[in-house]
Amino acid sequence: MSAPLVLLPSDEVPREHLPSNKSNPLRLGPGLRLLSQPTSQAGDSNHVLTATQAGLLTTDAKRNTVSLLSFPNRRYVPTVNDLIIAQIHHSSIDFFHCIVTPNTAHALLGQLSFEGATKKTRPQLKQGELVYARVQSVGVGAGAEVELTCVNPATGKADGGLGPLVGGMVFDVSTGMAARLIRASSASPDNTDAVEGLVILGELGRKLESLGGFELAVGRNGKVWVDCSNAGESAIAVTVAIGRCLQETDQHNLHPHDQKKLVTRILRDLKLAS
Amino acid sequence: MVGPTASLSVLSRADGSASYKCPATGYNILGAVNGPVELPGRRDALKPEDATVEIFIKPGTTTGGVGERATETILKSVLGNLVLGREKGFPRRGVVLTLNIVGGENVERGDSYLTLLPALLHAGLLAMISASIPLSMTLSAALLGVTTSGDIVQNPGPAAAKSVVSLHVLAFSSKGHLLLNESRGRFDFDTWELVRARALSICQGAHDGDVAMGEGENAASVNAFIRETAEDQIYSDYAHKLDSI
Repeated sequence: MSAPLVLLPSDEVPREHLPSNKSNPLRLGPGLRLLSQPTSQAGDSNHVLTATQAGLLTTDAKRNTVSLLSFPNRRYVPTVNDLIIAQIHHSSIDFFHCIVTPNTAHALLGQLSFEGATKKTRPQLKQGELVYARVQSVGVGAGAEVELTCVNPATGKADGGLGPLVGGMVFDVSTGMAARLIRASSASPDNTDAVEGLVILGELGRKLESLGGFELAVGRNGKVWVDCSNAGESAIAVTVAIGRCLQETDQHNLHPHDQKKLVTRILRDLKLAS
Repeated sequence: MVGPTASLSVLSRADGSASYKCPATGYNILGAVNGPVELPGRRDALKPEDATVEIFIKPGTTTGGVGERATETILKSVLGNLVLGREKGFPRRGVVLTLNIVGGENVERGDSYLTLLPALLHAGLLAMISASIPLSMTLSAALLGVTTSGDIVQNPGPAAAKSVVSLHVLAFSSKGHLLLNESRGRFDFDTWELVRARALSICQGAHDGDVAMGEGENAASVNAFIRETAEDQIYSDYAHKLDSI
């Protein structure tokens, strides 16, 4: 791979950085747009790719994609197929109205878009309860509504733990950190060592195994849900410890070496280390 | 001369933020951007396919007045036009930029805001970049004063600005197009042309000078400064990714 390239808005993507895969068309990720430069000869135009955000240019030669990694603190913009953690604001006859990010319009979650839900068996969610949902559609045109679902429409099953999140606690992290956590967990489910520079979950898992382990759900909208109901009396302390580890790693952008130290320090502070 | 300093993502709760300090004029600006957010009322009705950009300027010690409102209008005409409001998730939503004047001398009531304008523009732009708001281009601005003897001085502070004959703020896009021209005082076209050439060389670096320019000269331009600030932040945010390459 060539040297890292940072682009600013209106910068052109150099041709030599584009993947040279000719078998399928080039796909543009977020932060890039295609412009055509009109030339003097009629009917002939040069296409250029320009950045619309500041970010690090990344390419994937296998999938023939090019995208821009922007600042991790940014606001989440709903994208189809993203997994998010939404909070119920209120419910109406057909929909639950959910909060995805603060100060944006409510997303809609159908009352029947849960696994095995019928008119009689649908979940009765109250205000403030949480769901782990997938973005089904973001609509067409300006100001369209975002629709969520807790079930895979093809199979009727709730794959990957979709559905109401019962118990536990939610922590806010940056959207970049949430994306990293998701990539780290999908890269190798059993060995999370140093994927995306994150060793914190593996380290926490090893240290907290004796206490009953924990369950984690990461939403692309910058929310992490932590549940350790198996931990018995120390459940609250374990939950707080995990949340603090994730938030500090995020805020200080810690190196893997420092992440291990952080876990040891926080577990000792909360008297969880054996 | 000491160059400006800036840092990105200084506030953790805003979607994007930047602090910008200009030692020559002494101004210190803290900018925060939230977007795309839902706007109250029907403020999006005029341009339903586009994003609405709202800009607020908060002076450090007093409440905002007429001067702040006028400056907000100028900033909105420049920064608002850079925002690509038709990108996904932005139409009918708002981008709210708040610029807080944290340090520096107060602009007296009725005084010109021109001395503050470049600092506000840079802080606003960097905050927008930090919030990953889609932009069509970046900009850089310069503040120049023309003294009684006809000399052009760069970045006069509020005190020095009182003694100049004319005061100019010019902003250029990263490609060198003139985006903003605000002037005050008495001047003629020849003076303005000199000011424009000088401002362009400050913003872009000595481009078409007859002297072969080196790396060091280019690094002093405002454009290069904005690029460096953004690059530094990206490199530190993605240190985990760059280490493995």
